Amino acid sequence: MDLKEDKTISEVRTNLALDIEMAKDEGKKVVGLMCSYFPVEMVLAADAIPVGLCGTTEEPISAAEEVLPADQCPMVKATYGRAVGNTCPLFPLADCIIGETTCDGRKKMYELLAREKPMHVMDLPQKPEEKEAQEHWTAEVRKLKLFIEEQLDTVITEENLKRAIRQVNTTRALLTEIHRCRKHHPVPIMGLDLVGLTTASGYCVDRNDYTKRLTVLLEELKRRIREKEFACSPDRPRILWTGLGNSLGCDKVLKLVEDCGGVVVCQEGCGGITRLEDPVDEAKDPIQALAERYLRVTCSCMTPNTQRFKDIDRLITQYQIDGVIDLTWQFCHTFNIESYRVGELVKEKHGLPFLHIVTDFSQSDVGQLRVRIEGFLEQITLGRRDESYGCTQAWEGL
Amino acid sequence: MLPMQETKAESPVFAGIDVGSLTAKCVLISKNGMHAYAVMDTGAKPDKAGETVFVQALDKASAEKSNVRYSVGTGYGRISLSFVDRVVTELTCHARGAHFLDPAVRTVIDIGGQDSKVIRVNPDGSMSDFIMNDKCAAGTGRFLQIMARALETELENLGEFSLTSSQPSRINSICTVFAESEVVSLLASGEKMENIAAGLHRSVAKRVGNMAKRLGLQKKIVFVGGVAKNIGVRNALEDYLEIRFASLDQDPQIIGALGAAVLARERYLSA
Repeated sequence: MDLKEDKTISEVRTNLALDIEMAKDEGKKVVGLMCSYFPVEMVLAADAIPVGLCGTTEEPISAAEEVLPADQCPMVKATYGRAVGNTCPLFPLADCIIGETTCDGRKKMYELLAREKPMHVMDLPQKPEEKEAQEHWTAEVRKLKLFIEEQLDTVITEENLKRAIRQVNTTRALLTEIHRCRKHHPVPIMGLDLVGLTTASGYCVDRNDYTKRLTVLLEELKRRIREKEFACSPDRPRILWTGLGNSLGCDKVLKLVEDCGGVVVCQEGCGGITRLEDPVDEAKDPIQALAERYLRVTCSCMTPNTQRFKDIDRLITQYQIDGVIDLTWQFCHTFNIESYRVGELVKEKHGLPFLHIVTDFSQSDVGQLRVRIEGFLEQITLGRRDESYGCTQAWEGL
Repeated sequence: MLPMQETKAESPVFAGIDVGSLTAKCVLISKNGMHAYAVMDTGAKPDKAGETVFVQALDKASAEKSNVRYSVGTGYGRISLSFVDRVVTELTCHARGAHFLDPAVRTVIDIGGQDSKVIRVNPDGSMSDFIMNDKCAAGTGRFLQIMARALETELENLGEFSLTSSQPSRINSICTVFAESEVVSLLASGEKMENIAAGLHRSVAKRVGNMAKRLGLQKKIVFVGGVAKNIGVRNALEDYLEIRFASLDQDPQIIGALGAAVLARERYLSA
């Protein structure tokens, strides 16, 4: 099995759109989602198809900039652009869409997005460690259920919710095992390939397809470890990826890091391993369990976001990390400010090289990114010099 | 300062070639600390500039290409240098070059033609952290080049000239293009040229100084790059940061190429 995702994000989305159109002809409904805070199980329990509509490419942005300010997160612009720019084959297929009050940019953009499709915005509390936050979020999850039932003219039973929870937990468990294969030194798969394959696998109508594809990928990775078929040399600096920029489409920087000689062995945060290792509790009341699990997502819109720091701290050790890269999209104030504390943790507690990158989806700054990434990698590779090595001794041999 | 020696035909020599946006530099070092260097304008073709400055340095050292055991290329034009053995960023090279001259160096402030950077150096000479500005000409050599033209003086004189200022002007614009307009207006309103020059140096110092504060400064601190030859900027930076730069006793413009040469030597010897 070739561990490469050949299709571009555009092709993946177009293929999915064709599959969804066929499913719609058979009476299926489609719910568009924006974010990791959304309990996708709710859509599955309604026997509908969940589709991620978050913008991750440059193409839709110019349409968005006719309405939104240019000084705005590229993800916010691209998401809006997908809705209004006629560049996205999936957006028109959604019967309704769900957003959350995560960051300021999204919150205000959703007001405009709501003109395009029936939309419900969940009120996400910003201090999840408070007891009241959990109560409020649970109430929001109940409201969500009512919205979906009304929009799709259906009833979501407790049984269906429990089944959906088990189904998604199975996917989480498989993905966790896949990600954990990269604890191995050297790794069996490059970071870019893993992100491409896992993103593309998730773009399907039938969840059983998703599970099958992941199972095949996992078996292949295990085989490669057994037969010592590794993706790169053991000398390559092992990088922990934190922040954003983790999926097929907006992988510009991840690709550059691996082109310059690093290998991303672990991703924290959205699209990464941390909430995959965190299943929904199958023993609890399903609404309560969903509300609890989804409030644990570690986006920087939350404060003080303690869990993110615990995760980074633990992953650095577990994955034998040589350096940490923190990616922030331009105009994302929360991740930008939070990067300071991430840098403290990496540099002061772990004594490791840390690179904070701020960029957007365009290709215009690739040269500038390259010198920073190369410099960062040189901190790792040229900083490994044997302290005892002395120039003068070696001269004698010449 | 490294002592200059003449190369014998069989002596091994190591080359560092730094092709920047405005100037190309080459430094040659050897076991005995021999060192020759050459500096020239890069022009439009970085690969040709790299080869030419390399040959110029060899001529100065009376050495042949066959003496050169290993070469490292660096700088903005490093990717186009097809003849070097290895390519390393100017970040690492500046750290290594400064550290080579003084192992107590822990911070390097580099202002070049089109960018400025602050680099933290480990005790072993490797880089521990860095911060760069390469998105905007403000605070770089290009800014000063344009301002010298607006003041109708030579870039090389700008520094000395500003020392006679009694009251530096306040330059409000950050953008190079708008600052140039501001300079023209100040001249028209009778402001003294030396005061304007001193004000411009303060602008550069503030911009680069703020970057340095973000990264954190640790002594010894050195100032390198072409702009380090400008005594006005040097003084303004020392004032703004409330520090004194350590002296490297070497042309500040060649520190990157020197670091590249040191890395070349090290790489060759460890193989």
